[in-house]
Amino acid sequence: MSEKLLELKGTTIKFGGITALNEVNFHVNKGEICALIGPNGAGKTTVFNVVTGVYPITSGEILFKGENLAGKKRHQVTKMGIARTFQNVRLFGDMTALENVLTATDVHKKTGLVRSLFGTPLNRREEKESRQRARELLDFMGIGHRSDQLAKNLPYGDQRRLEIARALGTEPQLILLDEPAAGFNPAEKVALAETIKKIRDKGYTVLLIEHDMSLIMGISDRVAVLDFGQKIADDVPSVVQNDPRVIEAYLGVPADAS
Amino acid sequence: MSALKNFNLRDKGAEIWGGWSRPVRTAFVIAVVVIIGLLPFAPSWGPTSFLNTPITSFENVLVYPVGMFVLMALGLNIVVGKSGLLDLGYIAFFAIGAYTQAILSTLYGWNTWQALPVGIGLAMISGVMLGLPALRVRGDYLAIITLGFGEIVRIVALNLSVTGGPNGIAGIPNPPTIFGFEFNLMYPEHFFWLVLALVLLTIWMIRRFTVRRPGRAWEAIRQDEDVAALMGVHTLVYKLWSFVIGAAVGGAAGVIYASKVMVISPDMFKFEVSILILACVVFGGMGNIWGVILGASILAYLPERIRFIADERQIIFGLVLIIMMNLRPDGLLPRKKREKIEEKRTM
Repeated sequence: MSEKLLELKGTTIKFGGITALNEVNFHVNKGEICALIGPNGAGKTTVFNVVTGVYPITSGEILFKGENLAGKKRHQVTKMGIARTFQNVRLFGDMTALENVLTATDVHKKTGLVRSLFGTPLNRREEKESRQRARELLDFMGIGHRSDQLAKNLPYGDQRRLEIARALGTEPQLILLDEPAAGFNPAEKVALAETIKKIRDKGYTVLLIEHDMSLIMGISDRVAVLDFGQKIADDVPSVVQNDPRVIEAYLGVPADAS
Repeated sequence: MSALKNFNLRDKGAEIWGGWSRPVRTAFVIAVVVIIGLLPFAPSWGPTSFLNTPITSFENVLVYPVGMFVLMALGLNIVVGKSGLLDLGYIAFFAIGAYTQAILSTLYGWNTWQALPVGIGLAMISGVMLGLPALRVRGDYLAIITLGFGEIVRIVALNLSVTGGPNGIAGIPNPPTIFGFEFNLMYPEHFFWLVLALVLLTIWMIRRFTVRRPGRAWEAIRQDEDVAALMGVHTLVYKLWSFVIGAAVGGAAGVIYASKVMVISPDMFKFEVSILILACVVFGGMGNIWGVILGASILAYLPERIRFIADERQIIFGLVLIIMMNLRPDGLLPRKKREKIEEKRTM
C-alpha cells in the first residue's frame, strides 16, 4: 500500500445551516494524480479551502504527512508543502510573471526584511537562486518568454500556466489544481494533460478538480466523486465511470425509476 | 488632454535610465543630489530667484514643510503605497519623534544625535502597538483605527504635564555641531542638508526592499492579501514591518523637526497634517517614490509660494489638487509599470 500524503478523516464543515462537507473520508497517495469531481456545488473547492487553511473545519481531521493541519495558518500550510491554484485566476496582476513566481519561492527563504536591507551574502545568494528557480519554472510551463510582462497583460491561457508555475514555486509536495483546464480548447487541454503528467513525474503529487471527463479519465490514477458534500465514489477511473451513483449524481435519476 | 492622461513619465524615465551605463548613472545621481543640495542658494541667484517665497524664507521652507513632507510622504508611502494599508494617523509617529526629542533634551539634556535613535525606536514600538491589534482588520476599519490612534497621541500630548499640555514644550536645543556643520537659526541650509541626507537614506532603504523579498511580500499583500497568504507570505508579519518601517521614518522626521523649530505644541500634529501627507502620496503617485517626492515637494511648496494672496490661497491650492487628480488620477508619476518596452511591441 502506498504512503498517504494527505488524509481527510470524517471532515465536516458547516456554514450556518449548510453542511458543505459531511463526514468526508478521503486521501491522496504520494506520487499519484488524484482527481476530485462532482456536480457544481458539491464541495470540491471547499475541500481545497479546508486543506489550505482558508476555512477551519467543524469536525474531523486533516492530516498531511501524518501531521494534523488543524489550527495551521495559511502560510504555514504552504510552508509544509501544499500549494494551490484558483478556479478563477488570482495572480498578482501588477507584478511581472517572474515576480509572481519569486513571491512564491520566498516561503522557504531564511533571510527576511533586515538581512534584505543590508544585503548579507546569504540574502544575495538566496535572491539569485530563487531568480534562477523562477526562470526554470516559467520555462517548464512554456511561458519563459513572458517573464518580464505584467501578469494582468498575459493571455488567459498563460495566466493559468503562470498560476501553476507560481504554485510550484513554493516547492510543494502536494499541488492542488482547481479546474486548470477551464476555458481551454481541446489542443490546449491535451498539452495541459501532458504538463500535469510531467509535474507528477518530477515527484510532485497532484490533486485536481476538473470538469473535463476525458482529461480526468486520461491522466488520473484515482478519481473521487463528491455530491452534496459527501463522497460517493473513490476508485480508479474505469470503475468510477460506471458507478451507478456517479451517473445518477451527474445525470439525475431516470423518470421511470421511481 | 488624453495624451496627458496616457503619457507615462515614469516609463519614459526608466527607458532613458535603462540605456545608460553605470558611470553615467552614478554621475547623474551625484549631479542631481548636488543641484538639490544647492537649492537653498537659489533665491540669491538671478535666474532662479522666482523660487523665493514671501513671508517665510525659502531656506526655511525647504526644511519645513518641503523636506519634512517629502520624508514623511516617503515613510507613509511604504504603508499606503507599497502595502496598500490606509493609515490616516501617520502624523502620530512624527509627533512621537518630536516629543521624544523635546522631552529628552529639555529634561535630561540629551542632544539630537542621542535622541534620534530613541525617537525612531519609540516610533517603531508604537507602530507595533498600533499594528498588532489594528492589522487584523482591513480596509475602512483599519483606516478608522489609525485615525483614532493619531487623535489619541495628540490628545495625550494635550493633557499630560510632561508634554506641557496645550502650551507644548519650548526651549528645545538645536542639534550640536557635527562634521563641522553648525545647526542654528543662521544656517537653515545645514538643516536642509540633514533632511536631504535622511531622504537619501530612506530612498536607499526603500529601493533595497522593493527588489527583494519584503517588497514582493508587500506588493502581494496589496494586490490580494488572501492569495499572498496562500503563497506562503506571512501577511501579519510583513504588514507589521511595513507599519514599523513607516513609523521609523516618521519618528526620525519628528526628532529633526523638533530640534529645528525649538518649540512644539499639540496643534502641530493635527489630523489635517496626516491627510495632507496622504494627499502628497496620492497626488504624486502611490507606490512610486519619485512621484511621491515630486508630489510632496509641490504640495508643500505651493502654498508657501502663493502666500501673498492670503485668503484665496487655500482655494487655489484645492483647485490645483482637483484639476490634477482629474487629469492624472494615478498621480503625477504613476506606479512602476516595469514592463520591457520591446516585449510590449510584440504583443
